[in-house]
Amino acid sequence: MTREKLKGAEIVVEELKNEGVEVAFGIPGGVLLDLYDVLYKDDAIRHILMRHEQCAAHAADGYARVLGRPGVCIATSGPGATNLVTGLTNANMDSSPVVALTGQVPTAAIGSNAFQEASTFTITMPITKHNFLVTRTEDLPKVIHNAFYIANTGRKGVVLVDLPKDVLATRADLNLHPKETFTGYKPKIKPNPVQIKKTVEVLANAERPLILAGGGVISANATEELRHLAESLGAPVVTTLMGKGAIPENHPFSLGMAGMHGRIYANRAISECDALLAVGTRFSDRLTGWQLDQFAPEATLIHVDIDAAEINKNLQVDIPLVGDAKLALQEIIKWLEKKKATSPGSVWVQRIREMHSACEECIGDVRREGTSLSDMLIKEISGVLDDDVIVTTEVGQCQMFAAHYYITKKPRTFISSGGLGTMGFGFPAAIGAKVAAPDKRVVDLAGDGSFLMTCQDLATCVENDIPVVVCIFRNCYLGMVRQWQELFFEKRYSNTGLGTIPDFVKLAEAFGCYGERVEKPEELKDALHNAFESGKPAVLDMIVGQEDKVLPMIPPGGSIVGMIGTERCKLI
Amino acid sequence: MQTHIISLLVENHPGVLTRMSGMFTMRGINITSLTVSPCEKEGLSRMTVAIDGSESELEKVRKQLSNLIEVVKVVDLKEDKAIIRDLCLMRVHVKDLNARSEVMQLAEAYGAKIADATLDSVIIELTEEPKTIDRFVDLMKHFGIKQLFRTGVTAIGIDTGVEK
Ligand SMILES: Cc1ncc(C[n+]2csc(CCOP(=O)(O)OP(=O)(O)O)c2C)c(N)n1
Repeated sequence: MTREKLKGAEIVVEELKNEGVEVAFGIPGGVLLDLYDVLYKDDAIRHILMRHEQCAAHAADGYARVLGRPGVCIATSGPGATNLVTGLTNANMDSSPVVALTGQVPTAAIGSNAFQEASTFTITMPITKHNFLVTRTEDLPKVIHNAFYIANTGRKGVVLVDLPKDVLATRADLNLHPKETFTGYKPKIKPNPVQIKKTVEVLANAERPLILAGGGVISANATEELRHLAESLGAPVVTTLMGKGAIPENHPFSLGMAGMHGRIYANRAISECDALLAVGTRFSDRLTGWQLDQFAPEATLIHVDIDAAEINKNLQVDIPLVGDAKLALQEIIKWLEKKKATSPGSVWVQRIREMHSACEECIGDVRREGTSLSDMLIKEISGVLDDDVIVTTEVGQCQMFAAHYYITKKPRTFISSGGLGTMGFGFPAAIGAKVAAPDKRVVDLAGDGSFLMTCQDLATCVENDIPVVVCIFRNCYLGMVRQWQELFFEKRYSNTGLGTIPDFVKLAEAFGCYGERVEKPEELKDALHNAFESGKPAVLDMIVGQEDKVLPMIPPGGSIVGMIGTERCKLI
Repeated sequence: MQTHIISLLVENHPGVLTRMSGMFTMRGINITSLTVSPCEKEGLSRMTVAIDGSESELEKVRKQLSNLIEVVKVVDLKEDKAIIRDLCLMRVHVKDLNARSEVMQLAEAYGAKIADATLDSVIIELTEEPKTIDRFVDLMKHFGIKQLFRTGVTAIGIDTGVEK
């Protein structure tokens, strides 16, 4: 039987389908005409036309974080590819599985400064887990298969495939769906039993055990195991920003987010514990503060991570445990049970209870002195939205308000730019999230500055019926930078005032979205209701104090014990 | 600070050298020498990288290198468990017969070869351990080195060999 020769572009689409791809976010261009022609004829893949490639990458990233499998974005050569860069860096920093396909000038023209040529392969090398420049149509099946395999295994990340025009246009006779992978790529999954035993020994004998959960717990779908371990061990759980959702934050053992803008009790627990089990976190400076000797000084440090390169990178640990978080936690639980470990001293459990309720009290009480409009609004939002709502955030104060006060109850429902801190991420990530989970409500908690960086994609939402709700904390400043200027540069507000802010309600309406202004926190509930009921993408313009601050915080150069702005915390 | 020699087995793909050197640049590590060549395994190349750094930096580099998809194997070669060689070619000035015979004698003592000679210079070829070459280069400076080329180190593990 003679096989029909397939065009490169057809091969790409066949392989995408074989990898289970249902959606791609992208923008076409000259060198991608062949690919987009196939997408036109074959509707197995839903292509969502974005209004900026950065948003395509963020949307793929948001999609991936909600579903736990790769999101796909597509951009043309040159400017299309360079526009992707921020979004891809963001996804890779947060270990989010994204596969990017970029068009490239024909192989014969590569290196000639051809029209819309940029060296995407070299530009994206340091910002991806791996990348490919395909030079022969025959290589497409293996490359596409490996792109997905690499992106979605081990420490997940971004893989980019650069596709020259002729590679997409040429026909080739070949076998589809190859299975071969790279000899050198063997993601280590199974934790070493010796290290497990050591861990169990330390945890079983600890008087004040603490669990620190990072994004790796969510990525490995290990949240059930984490909760089980916390309960059976009597260990409280603190999280990183990326780890928000690893344990329901209303759980009595949850102390919330630790670190620079974390909760004071989360940080205190780190200082007080005698054994710290860190899972799927890289001990970033936003967590540890700048004085590493002050970080968990009394604790035996155990570090579980899928990426061996993270062990002893930022912090020297006592027990490294390389492997998948889920498997590691399962093993630890199994061996702890065999040991029939006695639960830790009741003093510690009592202390956790106290800390948890002190936190709840501060966070729950909106009338405490010094409460700002921003505080009140975020608490209101947290109270109104149900457990299944997916919240994304922009970057700045809005993000830290959300991290601090928004009570996340389920994994994959809090999506934020952790490693890169990319303004403009939250809204397009919300688009991806909504596409991934059309039945769930999706809300972007935004700063006015951030939203203005990617708001053009309201058009995408309207066109594709993606009704996400953007709640803007409108302080007319690049608030977080302003806060630092206020606190550490004697209020010299250099270039942080946003001046005349567009009328966000009219802006929304101009795009065909729903818009409403929220002057007072009490109005929020109805406004959110109206936004959801409108069935349209919506923008809520929430007025907050121009000089609202997000506190407490670790000041620059400070340590985890040296938080400032704790006046409003209930200190015990 | 110490010199470490890392031997890598990598897929022979375009861009693999950029990826490798990019990794070092990104982590702020200075490569003192780098050699690449095909090896006994088809489709794979061997790289020998020398870096200056502490033990802990070496450990970080090793792990980051292992993370690269096209790296098949990373071996950290300890000086006493490896044969380490560098090839040096230099053109040395010989102003008179005296100088010429002294240079020739020293070259012989070091096991170097005279690869070419003209009336006022000789080209010397020496394959040795980098440290020995350093010493020889220092000696030749007295006569006047006009040009110096070194390939950078290549190394092979003893006992077990680089790979099992
Ligand atoms: C793309 C990008 N540019 C600059 C910054 C630096 N930066 C961090 S927070 C911030 C201010 C954010 O302002 P806004 O979005 O209005 O949020 P707010 O802090 O006021 O809540 C800036 C400029 C950044 N994180 N990302």
